[in-house]
Amino acid sequence: MMVVGVMLLALACGIAIWFGPWAPLGGVIFQLYPAFLNTLQAGVQRRIAPELWDLVFLPALTAPAWLIPFILGDLLLVIGILRRRRRRHG
Amino acid sequence: MRIHRKRGWELPESAATPEPVALKRRSLMLAAGAGAMISLEAQAQWLFGRRESGDPWQRNPADIPDLPPAMRNTRYQPGRAITGEREPVTYNNFYEFGSNKDIWPTALRMPTRPWTVKVDGMVEQPGEFDVDDLMKRIGLEERVYRLRCVEAWAMTVPWTGFQLSKLLEIVKPLGSAKYVRFETAQRPDSMVGLRQSWYPWPHIEGCTIEEAANELTFMVMGIYGKPLPPQNGGPLRVAFPWKYGFKSGKSLARITLTDQRPKSFWETLQGSEYGFWANVNPEVPHPRWSQASERLIGSGERVPTQLFNGYGEFVASLYTNLQNERLWA
Repeated sequence: MMVVGVMLLALACGIAIWFGPWAPLGGVIFQLYPAFLNTLQAGVQRRIAPELWDLVFLPALTAPAWLIPFILGDLLLVIGILRRRRRRHG
Repeated sequence: MRIHRKRGWELPESAATPEPVALKRRSLMLAAGAGAMISLEAQAQWLFGRRESGDPWQRNPADIPDLPPAMRNTRYQPGRAITGEREPVTYNNFYEFGSNKDIWPTALRMPTRPWTVKVDGMVEQPGEFDVDDLMKRIGLEERVYRLRCVEAWAMTVPWTGFQLSKLLEIVKPLGSAKYVRFETAQRPDSMVGLRQSWYPWPHIEGCTIEEAANELTFMVMGIYGKPLPPQNGGPLRVAFPWKYGFKSGKSLARITLTDQRPKSFWETLQGSEYGFWANVNPEVPHPRWSQASERLIGSGERVPTQLFNGYGEFVASLYTNLQNERLWA
């Protein structure tokens, strides 16, 4: 778990360096796969609910691209450290 | 000596809730539960529900004047019934407002007056025209055109407007102009789609100068005799009835004559599916679906699609020397 956490943190750093610290996640995905987000958006807005895109997907896609791997990486690291401590003391 | 140690769940009789109170509490909880369900439903409705009530024609007549009467041009016979008035103004593709079909309540928030369109590039007399002045200067006519969407649905719509060639006569294209680029306005206050900053805004479409000068190419300012609402591309859009609908740029802010072939919004996003020419052809399927037939909005009837959407007699000659181009995508 800690290894995955460290990998995600490294990925976050890599994204921030490669695409710039303020590049939104949507922008990064668009650069890599130009057609993907449009298909995803059409699927979500037409088949599920337009508001789901606006309230859930859009905030995530407009956030800096490194943020999500950074948060996930941190989370996994903290969980991993806590587990290790529990094992030592248990 | 016997030691009695109370277990956690053991309570004295005095601590038990009296039966009538418990029953009352149960009914209270039932009521609270029902209330929560109703509230959840309301929240879901608010979150994900469709808000389609309202007037899709809504406008302030003080800002947006009625269209002057326009004679119907009978040269262009649609050969099928005109679609009912509500469907074309409530079933729209306009990505600046979202990628679902019912974007009209959002689109109606966009003010369409005052509105000017800039015509520039390779022209003798560039200018910025107020749309209402332009309408008075050129005059309006009504044309009933079939509209074929690349998504395999179709409508038949009475547009009010003027031939693009009449605007070109005013600005006088230079001999070097080969293409016309149509640029949609960017209004971040109402166009929520612009928040997706990674898309190649502004929305660009284009055609050749010959296509622009063709008699079918129509600048639209009205629909069903009323001012064109924003969800349909108001106050000013272009219509190429022989091409798939996405080629017809909406809510135009700028028209540029150029010698460079414009790269359109959709070409940038998915060039293999949405190309520059995009002429209707039932024998060339979209990569993900057939184009052999189309569903008529309103009746739901499925009818065969026609080459050039049935307008071959007016436009087929434009493409005789272009067989190496991807004319049908």
